[in-house]
Amino acid sequence: MSEDGILLSIKGLSVSFFTEEGVAKAVQGVSFSIRQGKTFALVGESGCGKSVTALSIMRLVPSPPGEIVGGEITFGQRDLLSLSDKRMRSIRGNKIAMIFQEPMTSLNPVYTVGEQIVEAIRLHQRKSTSQAWSDAIEMLRKVGIADAERRAWEYPHQMSGGMRQRVMLAMAVSCEPSLLIADEPTTALDVTIQAQILDLLDKLQEQNGMSILLITHDLSVVAERADDIAVMYASRIVEMSKSRLLFVEPLHPYTQGLLRSVPRLGFSGKRLQMISGTVPEPLHFPSGCKFHPRCPIGCGDKRCQSVEPELREVRPGRCVACWHAPGYETEGERKSLMVGLCPHPTEL
Amino acid sequence: MSKQKQVKTGWGISYGEMVSREFVKIRLNVVCLVFIIFLFAAAVLAPFLANDKPFVIRVDGELHFPIFKNLRASDYSVFLAAVVGVVQVLLIRRNRGRVDPSIRGAVLWRQVCISSLVIFTGVILSFVFVPRRLDATDYKGMVASGKATDAIFAPIPYGYGRTDLRFREQPPSREHWLGTDDVGSDVLCRLIHGSRISLSVGFVAVGISSIIGILVGAILGYFGGSVDFVGMRIVEIMMAIPTFFLIITIVAFFPRSLLNIMIIIGITSWTGNARFIRAEFFKLRKQDFVQAAVSLGLPLRSILFRHMLPNGIAPVLVNATFGIAGAIFIEAALSYLGFGVAPPTPSWGQMLSLGVSTTGRFLWWLTLFPGLAIFLTVMAYNLVGEGLRDAIDPRLRKAA
Repeated sequence: MSEDGILLSIKGLSVSFFTEEGVAKAVQGVSFSIRQGKTFALVGESGCGKSVTALSIMRLVPSPPGEIVGGEITFGQRDLLSLSDKRMRSIRGNKIAMIFQEPMTSLNPVYTVGEQIVEAIRLHQRKSTSQAWSDAIEMLRKVGIADAERRAWEYPHQMSGGMRQRVMLAMAVSCEPSLLIADEPTTALDVTIQAQILDLLDKLQEQNGMSILLITHDLSVVAERADDIAVMYASRIVEMSKSRLLFVEPLHPYTQGLLRSVPRLGFSGKRLQMISGTVPEPLHFPSGCKFHPRCPIGCGDKRCQSVEPELREVRPGRCVACWHAPGYETEGERKSLMVGLCPHPTEL
Repeated sequence: MSKQKQVKTGWGISYGEMVSREFVKIRLNVVCLVFIIFLFAAAVLAPFLANDKPFVIRVDGELHFPIFKNLRASDYSVFLAAVVGVVQVLLIRRNRGRVDPSIRGAVLWRQVCISSLVIFTGVILSFVFVPRRLDATDYKGMVASGKATDAIFAPIPYGYGRTDLRFREQPPSREHWLGTDDVGSDVLCRLIHGSRISLSVGFVAVGISSIIGILVGAILGYFGGSVDFVGMRIVEIMMAIPTFFLIITIVAFFPRSLLNIMIIIGITSWTGNARFIRAEFFKLRKQDFVQAAVSLGLPLRSILFRHMLPNGIAPVLVNATFGIAGAIFIEAALSYLGFGVAPPTPSWGQMLSLGVSTTGRFLWWLTLFPGLAIFLTVMAYNLVGEGLRDAIDPRLRKAA
C-alpha cells in the first residue's frame, strides 16, 4: 500500500470512556505501525487497552461512553477516523476483518455457518448465491473443516469451539482482507486447539499475504509468531521491539516481570516470580510512570513518580518507555524525533 | 431412501424445528392448537356452515345454486387466502425434506411471491366479477310451500342477518340448537359468523402492535443512550394511559367499523412489545455475534432485523399469542358496551350484551354460548402462548 511496506499506522491514538464516575483514559497516545504481510502482536494484561485499540481501528468503540479523542489511523492512504460511516462499512470485513475471543458466541445461532459465510462474501463481492456457496465451502475446507459440504449446513451449536473459531476465520478471510485483527483468538480454546488455530493463521497469512494484528495476553502465543511486538501497560505502550530481542533482553521492568512469571520447562522446583500489586484502574491511574507503584526499580524514584516517560528508541529496533532503561536518556533523547512516537523498526 | 434420510439429518436442525418439537411434546398445547385451527376452519367456511340459502335447489325443474351466487367478494378472498396459506405450509414442509438448503430461501421467496400475486389478483378479480347482490328470496318458504324441491341446505340453515320475529328469544330447541336472539336470528349461526370478527381482530391488531413495537424497541435497544431515554419516556407515557378508556374514547369519535377497531387496538397496545424487544436488544448488542456482524461491515438494517431480531423475537412471539387473546377480549368488551361493530354484523361481545333482554328476561343461552366461545378462544390462545414460551426457553423447560 504505502511506499515503505507499511499497511496501517496509528499515531498518538487516544480513546476515553466518559462514564458517570469520571473519564477513563483507556488508550493514551498509542503509536505503532503494521507492516504488510507481517504479524504485529499487542501484548498486555486484561484492561490495558489492547482490545480498545483494535476496536478503534475498526471504529467499533462503543459510543457512548467511548470516544476516540485524538490521534490518527492511516490505512493505506486513507485516514480511517475521518471516513464516512458508509465508506467505513465498505472497509470493515472487506479490507480489515476481525475475529473475536469467544468463538462460542461470535456466530449467530439462528443461521447455519454456511449462510453466515455466504452473507459475508455476498456483502462485499458481486457473486451469485451458488457461486458464493461454493466459495464458502471452499473456504471451510481451507480452514481445515472436514466434510465441509455437510458442515456448512450445520448450526453453530452443533460445532465445537475450535471448529467455530475456524468458521470465524473462514468468514473473516473470505473477502481476502489485507489486515486481520485477531483479538485473543485462542484464549477460549484448549491448548492443543490453540496451536492448530495459530498455525492456521500462519498458513492463511502465507496464502493471502495479509497482515495480522494479534492481540493477546499470552506471551507464549506471541513468542514464535510475531514479527513485531508491543507491550501495553495501563493504556500506553511501554515497550516495542522485534520479538526475539524482546524475549532475550526485555528492557522495561514490566516486560521483565511478565517474562519471569511465565513457567518454563526445566525450571521446576523454583517458585515463579510475580509482579506485586494489581493493575491500576483506568479511573485512578497513578501519577508519573503508571508502573512505578509496582516497579522494583522505580518505586522510590521521584522522577518516576512525577513524570511519565515517553516511548523512545534506545537502540535500533528497540523502543521503551522507562527512565531506568539502559541508554534511555542518552541514546533515546538524541534519536527520538517526534514526541511520543517511536520510529518503526523497519524505518531504520 | 435411507441415503436421502441421511442427507436430511445432515442439514442440521433449525431453531424453529427445535421449538416446534418441544411444543408438540405437550399434549395440551396440541389440543389448543387444534382447537384454534378448528376455529379458523369454521371462520373460513362460515358461509357453508351456516347459511339460509341452499347449496342446490330445484325451482320449476331448473337447478339453482343460490349459496354461491350470494357469496360476497370478501368471502371469496378469504377462501383464496386460506387455500394459498395451506398450500404454502405444505410446500414449506415439502421443501424442508427435498430442496437443497442453499436454494431453499430463494425457492421459498419465489413461492411467497407467486402466492401473494395469486392472492392479489384473486382479490381484485373477486371484487370486480362478484358484484354484491342481495337475494331476499325465502327459499325455505318456497320449499315448504312446494314451489321448489331437492333443496340441500347448510347444516345450520339460517342467515346471520335474517330476522324472524316469530321466533324471538327462544331457548335452545331442535330447530335452533343454541336458541335465538332478540330479533329471532339463530345464535349458533351468529356465533360461527362472529368468529370471523374475533379472529381477524386478534390477528390484525396484534400484527399492527407487533410491527410498531418491534420497530420502536429495536431502535431504542440498539442505540441506547439519549435515544433510549427519550423513547422510553414516551413509551411510559403511553403505558400510563388506561388503554381501554382511550380505546373507548377514540372509538366513539370514529365510525363503527371493524378496521377502525383493529387499528386502534393495534396502536394502543404496542408498548409491551417495544419494551420486550428493547430489553432483548440491550442484551444482544453486547454479544459477540452482533459485534462480528458489525465488523463484517453489514448495514444497520441487516444487523437489526436479520441478525438481532431472530434472536430476540421469542418474547414478542409469546406476547403476540397473549395479545391475540387480549385483542379478542377487548373487541368483545367494546361490542358488549355497544362500541363495537354495527349490529347486523355478528360479534361475540355484542351477542353477550343481548343476554339481558329489553323485556328484562335473563336469556341464559345468549350469555352462556358466546361467553363460552370467548372463554375457550382466549384460553386456547393463552395456553398456546404459554406452551410456546416453555418451548422457547430452555431453562424453563428444564425446570418444569
